[in-house]
Amino acid sequence: MKRVLFTLVLGLIAGLGSHLAYYRYHEPASTDTLEGQLAWMKTELKLSDSQFARIKDLHHASHPRLQAMAAQVAQMQTEFGEFERTRRTTDRVDFLEFARFVEIRRNLNRECLDSTRQLVLASAEVMTPDQRLRYIRLVATAEPLVGSLLN
Amino acid sequence: MNTPPDPLDSLLDRWSSTPDPSSRLSANVWQHIAVSERATASPKGWWPALESWFGRPAFAIGFVAGCALAGLFMAELRVSHLQRERNAQLARSYLLLIDPLLNAPPSDHRS
Repeated sequence: MKRVLFTLVLGLIAGLGSHLAYYRYHEPASTDTLEGQLAWMKTELKLSDSQFARIKDLHHASHPRLQAMAAQVAQMQTEFGEFERTRRTTDRVDFLEFARFVEIRRNLNRECLDSTRQLVLASAEVMTPDQRLRYIRLVATAEPLVGSLLN
Repeated sequence: MNTPPDPLDSLLDRWSSTPDPSSRLSANVWQHIAVSERATASPKGWWPALESWFGRPAFAIGFVAGCALAGLFMAELRVSHLQRERNAQLARSYLLLIDPLLNAPPSDHRS
């Protein structure tokens, strides 16, 4: 009886121990920084060191601009929310102001698409055809980019 | 002095001519032995059977090794599942990083 229980407990310990040890050792690290994402891209697309350095430079160069645009997009969304709230509460629309808003938003959207497209195409140029295909597949999941990349 | 014939004599005479044993006699004997050995060797109920199996060192070592391997296998499944999730999450984050419009609602993209 003791022998059976001892073997069962030993088996349980061996199973749990090997499970936890393997999991801890192979657990993927979580990262949300630009550096972390670029490192992930390097592994995922099997980039060489020189390719990675070039792509890293491209991303670092465009990062501040893209961040500023993202902030502008967020601000435009807030402004649009304000327009909508005013329309609902007062049933009044300042058409001139709204037309100006639409124009600014259209320009901003165009700028965003151009910037992103430039970055993607510049990065893709550094890659081999196989890497490029995988990269384009990856970025093509971004809905606004699909059309612009295929054109 | 003649002794009267014993009635057993005729029976004894008949017994002296024994028939040949069956050709399957040996096989039947071994089968009986095997059945009786199995009956005495295998204990009744699952617990004694378990005790009997775990009593063998080779089985006990194999069981512990099997548990360790099962643990490794489950960990590998867990890691690969997590890796897939993490890859998808990193892909999403990367797209958010390079495409400011992804922060906007879908209707906003091409206006």
